[in-house]
Amino acid sequence: MDDPGARPAIDVQDLGVRYNLRLTRRTTLKGSLAGLVRSRDQGAATHFWAVRHLTFRVAHGESLAVIGPNGAGKSTLLLALAGILQPSEGRVVLDGRVSTLLTLGAGFEQELSGRDNIDLAAAFLGLDHRQMAELTPRIIEFAEIGPFIDAPVKTYSSGMKARLGFAIATAITPDILLLDEVIGTGDQVFRARSQARIRELVAQARAIVLVTHDMSFVTEFCNRAILLEKGTIIHEGEPAETVELYRERVRQHKLLAESEAQRFATMPGQG
Amino acid sequence: MSIPSSKAVASGRPGDPRPSLLGLVRAGLDDLLTRRRLIGFLVGADLKRTHADTIIGQLWWVVDPLLQMVVYAVLVGVVFQRSTPDFPLFLFAAILPWKWFSTTLSDATISVTNRSSLIRQVPFPKLVLPAAATLAGTVSFAIGLVALGAVYLFYLHRLSPWLLTLPLVALVQLVFTFSLAVLFAALNAFYRDVQNVLRHALRLWFYVSPTLYSLEQLEDHGEIGRVLALNPMAPILTSYRSIIWGHEGAATRAPEWLGLGAVVVLSLVLLAVALAVFKRVEPGFARIL
Repeated sequence: MDDPGARPAIDVQDLGVRYNLRLTRRTTLKGSLAGLVRSRDQGAATHFWAVRHLTFRVAHGESLAVIGPNGAGKSTLLLALAGILQPSEGRVVLDGRVSTLLTLGAGFEQELSGRDNIDLAAAFLGLDHRQMAELTPRIIEFAEIGPFIDAPVKTYSSGMKARLGFAIATAITPDILLLDEVIGTGDQVFRARSQARIRELVAQARAIVLVTHDMSFVTEFCNRAILLEKGTIIHEGEPAETVELYRERVRQHKLLAESEAQRFATMPGQG
Repeated sequence: MSIPSSKAVASGRPGDPRPSLLGLVRAGLDDLLTRRRLIGFLVGADLKRTHADTIIGQLWWVVDPLLQMVVYAVLVGVVFQRSTPDFPLFLFAAILPWKWFSTTLSDATISVTNRSSLIRQVPFPKLVLPAAATLAGTVSFAIGLVALGAVYLFYLHRLSPWLLTLPLVALVQLVFTFSLAVLFAALNAFYRDVQNVLRHALRLWFYVSPTLYSLEQLEDHGEIGRVLALNPMAPILTSYRSIIWGHEGAATRAPEWLGLGAVVVLSLVLLAVALAVFKRVEPGFARIL
């Protein structure tokens, strides 16, 4: 933004993602038909905007933290940036190769070996044979799986799965890296190594968007932060001040909840 | 996890023109062609996963259809006392392709819903999922042909050069199966009723198809034979039986060219519709799964 000539890595304009409540999760035909009938007289409450009117940019080399309470729309935002969710309104323009690290290991084939899973992930990434041959040893080394790489993934510990997932997602040195709550995984040693890898990616002028509840990570690694609440941006600025604002709002919420609880407890005739 | 192009734009402005039917079909075919490698890996993963925890492992590909044949041979031949010469081969000629059809269709129908966690994690053309399921089924059918060879050892006098047309009949079945697979996979993402109904529909479909009997055997039953002949699987199964086992009464062992031609036309229309429907609803998958 400081340099108007440079194209941002991520350009989000008036982004909105809407979920259709009628079709979410395990719908059946009957439920859907019933909903259709009901909507005749009710109408409005069938849609839910997870995020709306979001506008921001991330320059190359920047690392942006997205913080906020549960249900604020952080994950939805990340999914939209990754191209997994299509925007319902507004637009998302990405300049560069994107890699997502959303839920570690969720895409693994349990029956297949770690090596087969690396191949499969690479095929999903659209990597060719040569790139894959180059990356596989590096992934195996970084994940520290050792001889288990040829054992089925179902025999792995959750830490091993997380390490393998992290190694795969960060192996290709993406231009844009999207991370969702993944820094806290693994043991102390691996955590240090993964943080070192992320620092490396930041240093290589890659853009990063990170969703986390780990506030110390925000102030340490990110150079900007967005506070999201109920699907809209409450604040955008320095990580330290954004985190402070967030903490302040959480405190207020807690106080409010406590006084509500108190009032409820002292109300006569309850029990 | 990555978008291969260097610049990706996703927009959701309501003014965006809806892609045409032809455009959707072309986009679907394009997905399949450009992600051949991914489809290959998915097929490989599928084949490795099946029978992974069994003692005889890959041998199940051959043993399974044989056991199924034995069950029906006992049921129809011994319990119902129906006599058709060389009955095991008569049955096997239809059961093997039917098994390909039904398992592929059930696997493909749940192929999108089964990958819901991945769909919410990685952007990729979802069409590769029913395609991989269909191809994995095709591979297991091809391996099942080894079992056919084993059965043939007992009925060598039934062998005819028409057997060489089997790949052609299989190709017709493949296109028909794939078109249904794509359609059902898309619909099942929205309504899980599809997978439940399909289970029973396939069972009924099996009994109204000429698998345990041939349509010739129904000739004295009047109308019913003519109605059952409208089933697209009927000419396919009858053709298999003709080239593998033979024809009752008729001298020629040729496949039912006319019937197969009709199925090809129907399948191509169905495939275009299925691809268009799939591509149309694909962007919604991540939102509803």
